[in-house]
Amino acid sequence: MSDGLNDDFDTDLLEEELRQAAAVLDPLPPALLQLAVEAYALHDLDARVAELTFDSLVDAIPVRGATDVPRMLTFTAGEVTLDVEVTAEGLLGQVLPPRPGRVEVLGGPLQAVSLTADDLGRFGPTEPPAGPFALRLYTGADVVVTEWLRA
Amino acid sequence: MTTGAFPSTAYDDWPYTRGVTVERREVGALVRSAVDGDAAAWKSIVEGLGPLVWSVVRSHRLSDADAHEVYQTVWFRFAQHLGRLREPDKAGSWLASTARHECLKVHRDARRLMLTDDPQLLDRVSEDGAPEQSLLEAEEAAAQSERVRRLWQEFEELGERCRQLLRVLIASPPPSYQEVSAALDIAVGSIGPLRQRCLRRLRARLEERGAT
Repeated sequence: MSDGLNDDFDTDLLEEELRQAAAVLDPLPPALLQLAVEAYALHDLDARVAELTFDSLVDAIPVRGATDVPRMLTFTAGEVTLDVEVTAEGLLGQVLPPRPGRVEVLGGPLQAVSLTADDLGRFGPTEPPAGPFALRLYTGADVVVTEWLRA
Repeated sequence: MTTGAFPSTAYDDWPYTRGVTVERREVGALVRSAVDGDAAAWKSIVEGLGPLVWSVVRSHRLSDADAHEVYQTVWFRFAQHLGRLREPDKAGSWLASTARHECLKVHRDARRLMLTDDPQLLDRVSEDGAPEQSLLEAEEAAAQSERVRRLWQEFEELGERCRQLLRVLIASPPPSYQEVSAALDIAVGSIGPLRQRCLRRLRARLEERGAT
């Protein structure tokens, strides 16, 4: 074993060598870098963000052996609550307290599917999101966007 | 750390791209400019901290598909929260910690468990090495590429804790210890000693295989 100073020097070298190996063998894919650049369009000052307050993946006790349990999500912004359920079959949800409005399912900076919430606030079902998604709710003058999440 | 002065010429032929170094004290100012509508500032943040987010995601052994989705989710959410960050100067830690949480969720999701044992992960070294090889013609370069491959393989076979810590540390540019702490939920003070230990262990493995 070498002395302390040499040891530090050697480990620094090894770390730098590993850093260069990572840059060659496991680099950040350029397409992902580009997607993150485009994500600037999602920066939205006018909408209120509805935070995730319940996620069955985190807050519920898993059912042993069950593989296709629905993902239950609750988002809250002030007095507005959005309950959402995602399964392999689709996404559906309800605005609470119940109210009609328009709901957009966002799939990225350039993707949106528009849905209508009925008088009871129910919307969907629609195709389950294929990747990260957020919901944008328009009711009256109010715009609420849920935190981005993976289904 | 001795990053700038690495006395090696061996990698000069590699298509080696570093992330853009963003001085950490500038991050807060960039965030504020981005909030005010400066798209170039946003791009600088992405270029400076994207590799860190990628490293955190890669340290968690997800399938490629999951890794790509987590990466996007983190940046979409960051864009969404841009104007509401309590500490814009610590945007790197915010990103690292958000990436960690999203990775842990993937591990919890029973529907995805089967996918995380992606056999391609094991073949990555040989597969991803192939395109670079066409650029390397000299025998020396071939030997060098073999050395990089072996180094990476020994790294991949380190214990999980060491592999994870090192994968985050070797983001390019190197992350701050505050960011590493946020990425792995370990105390800042324990990072240095752990790092030394893991790198020594890696070196011992390389020496054992006669690969130095």
